[in-house]
Amino acid sequence: MIELLLILCIVAAIIAIESKNLLSSIISLGGVGFSLAIIMLFLSAPDVAFVQILVEVVMLIILIRATINRDVTEVKCKREFFGMIFGMALVTVLLGILLMGIQTLPEFGTALVNASAESVPAKYYIENGLAQTGSANIVTGVLLDYRAYDTLGEATVLFTAIIGAIAILRKKKTNE
Amino acid sequence: MNILPLFVTIPLAGAFVVSLFDFIKDEKKKNISTNIFASLAGLVLLVISIKVIGSAGVYSMGKWKLPEGIVLVLDPFSGPILLITNLISFICILFSFDYMSGYNGREKYYSLFFLMVAGMNGLVLTGDIFNLYVFLEIASVASYALVGFGTMREEIEATFKYMVLSSVATAFMLLGVAFIYGFTFNLNMVSVAKALGSMEAPVGVYVALGLFIIGFSIKSALIPFHAWLPDAHPSAPAPISAMLSSVVIKTVGMYSLIRICYVVFGMNTGQVPEVLRVLGILSMMLGVLLALGQWDFKRLLAYHSVSQMGYIALGFGLGTPLGVIGGIYHLLNHSVFKSLLFLNSGAVYYRTGTRDLKEMGGLGKKMPVTGATSMIASMSIAGIPPFNGFWSKLIIIMACIKSSHPWLAFWAVLGSILTLASFLKVQRYGFLGKVKDSLRNVKEAPFMMQVSMITLALLCLAMGGLMLPGLYDLIFVPAAGIILDQAQYLKLVLGN
Amino acid sequence: MNVPIIYTLCMILFSVGIYGIVTKKNVVKIILSILIMENALNLFILMIGYRKDGIAPIVQPGMDAAGFAASSVDPLTQAMVLTSIVIGLSMIALMVAIAIRLYERFGTFDISEIKDLKE
Repeated sequence: MIELLLILCIVAAIIAIESKNLLSSIISLGGVGFSLAIIMLFLSAPDVAFVQILVEVVMLIILIRATINRDVTEVKCKREFFGMIFGMALVTVLLGILLMGIQTLPEFGTALVNASAESVPAKYYIENGLAQTGSANIVTGVLLDYRAYDTLGEATVLFTAIIGAIAILRKKKTNE
Repeated sequence: MNILPLFVTIPLAGAFVVSLFDFIKDEKKKNISTNIFASLAGLVLLVISIKVIGSAGVYSMGKWKLPEGIVLVLDPFSGPILLITNLISFICILFSFDYMSGYNGREKYYSLFFLMVAGMNGLVLTGDIFNLYVFLEIASVASYALVGFGTMREEIEATFKYMVLSSVATAFMLLGVAFIYGFTFNLNMVSVAKALGSMEAPVGVYVALGLFIIGFSIKSALIPFHAWLPDAHPSAPAPISAMLSSVVIKTVGMYSLIRICYVVFGMNTGQVPEVLRVLGILSMMLGVLLALGQWDFKRLLAYHSVSQMGYIALGFGLGTPLGVIGGIYHLLNHSVFKSLLFLNSGAVYYRTGTRDLKEMGGLGKKMPVTGATSMIASMSIAGIPPFNGFWSKLIIIMACIKSSHPWLAFWAVLGSILTLASFLKVQRYGFLGKVKDSLRNVKEAPFMMQVSMITLALLCLAMGGLMLPGLYDLIFVPAAGIILDQAQYLKLVLGN
Repeated sequence: MNVPIIYTLCMILFSVGIYGIVTKKNVVKIILSILIMENALNLFILMIGYRKDGIAPIVQPGMDAAGFAASSVDPLTQAMVLTSIVIGLSMIALMVAIAIRLYERFGTFDISEIKDLKE
């Protein structure tokens, strides 16, 4: 099932990249994001799936806001043969290297099976999360207690991006 | 009380508070109050970073012990980097007082500035690879916005280019982190180092290593990954160019590269240093050759950043204690003289409105302080004794010869000569010679700009003193020890 | 030699993103490609922490601790993915802001026409 959804994702991604109409590209991208959210549900990650759906919606709105009313929804693409060949070659090499890497990863679906709580933090969180943080949802416990410092950083990135976007789009510019 | 968290909390709090100054409607009052606030925060940071030099410590975030929580680690390698980051940022804040008067939105500028500093301090101090990614993202996102702060054609184009390449780099890093997690199921550097040390490394670990090297090489603009730098650094406002060239590419790029590859992976011999050497030589030579043909002052400086990053990579790539010491020393020195050069270019641009060397001429007479300080910086970067650049280049060249790489030493000397030629051109066309008619009415830069430039020029002279045995043993020897000996790092963090 | 199909598909999705970044000349298309790349990355991290027939890391009432510990999937990867999704969103938001400015200044989204900076 996950495989099928992933193939759907890849097809939608290719359509999003190759389509001539920008709006339909963005809609197909939504397809990628939402099928990803379903895959996440299959991977037993409901929290992540919720956030993914939320972020996807926000993202689509932002992207459509950026393209609409700019009368450039059609992409004039002169396909550059050389550029495409170069891109293909680069991506093939990269993909080959990555595939070599993933073959040596532990088999899919075997995470934490033989782990001990002393050496693997994830196991420790599962075993002691409820008692130590009081949160029934261990992901929340990790985000807001064990690794709250990461979450501070995450919130700061969001703040930075907002301040940055306001600065980039501010009314008056340099003194010229 | 442990002061390590203050390095992140002070700039973060500074960023949040200074962005609230938006409520002051009068532009002038707002500028003065934000200036005062920013310089005070910068000064506090500078003071506490001077305090930590020579000490080491570990701080557990939220009191969670090691495999579970996140720790901040101050070791002899991060200490000097922390000091130089906060020192340069304080001086750049002083320089911004007058320079930024051409732009509005001062509170957003300072807010982004402090976020960038917070990101860099955080990633220098962290002992966790995912946390390193998060703080690297803070520093990078802030720097994208700062490069485009002018919002004119050139700035926006440069920042878009920078952002696309940079986001590929961060994606590669995150992929590397994912691979590492897949093999070790740990994120903090100590446990990862121990787990990787105890297993026969599978291919995937080398793939992760390659991803990290590519990602951090893009961030530190080593050739062939340098395409964004000569656009992004000149387009930013001068104090930001100084920050980007002198600290951001070092902390976000080179420091993280060395921290991950040498300390976490423990691969300080063999292929990784060799790759660094090759990248270093390439950047060193091609960077300076590309710089020779430039007539845009800031663009020329940007290409020299690529070239000097090559020296630093070469030093670290030798993998010997002397080479690593040369790398760190040159990193610190380059921060000082490159920021000085960018501030010089900023002062010239502030008074004349041009960055084109052909339109300058005789500015040394009209702007004596700028002229004199730029002369000192040029001699430092070219490696003329007794300025600081000479000593670090000397160490790197000596390390090349000692580790029986005489050809590398030859390239390093040649690069240095070409650098000298390039800066003779800058001095000849920019600051010496006859005053152009169009520049008759140019005045010396404002007082605060002079203060910041003179401070940096004095540092160029004083940092030669780091060669004195007492300071050398205090700063460089332990740093090289921690980079080249993983056991020392483990001992420092685990405490037994 | 076993080829893990799920990881492979995920890496193909990642490569599609990289391909878009390298070859596309349209600003919006580049942003979309970065988004695809980040999505693939998030999924990959999540997959690493998956355990076959695992349950979500939420302790339900009446569940015994040992059984939960033996069957829950990795909460740490989920926390990482949540962080990286938000970071991705912020980056895209800033990028879109830059793209809007870019359009204002140049009147086009085609980067082959945006060439003020010399080589």
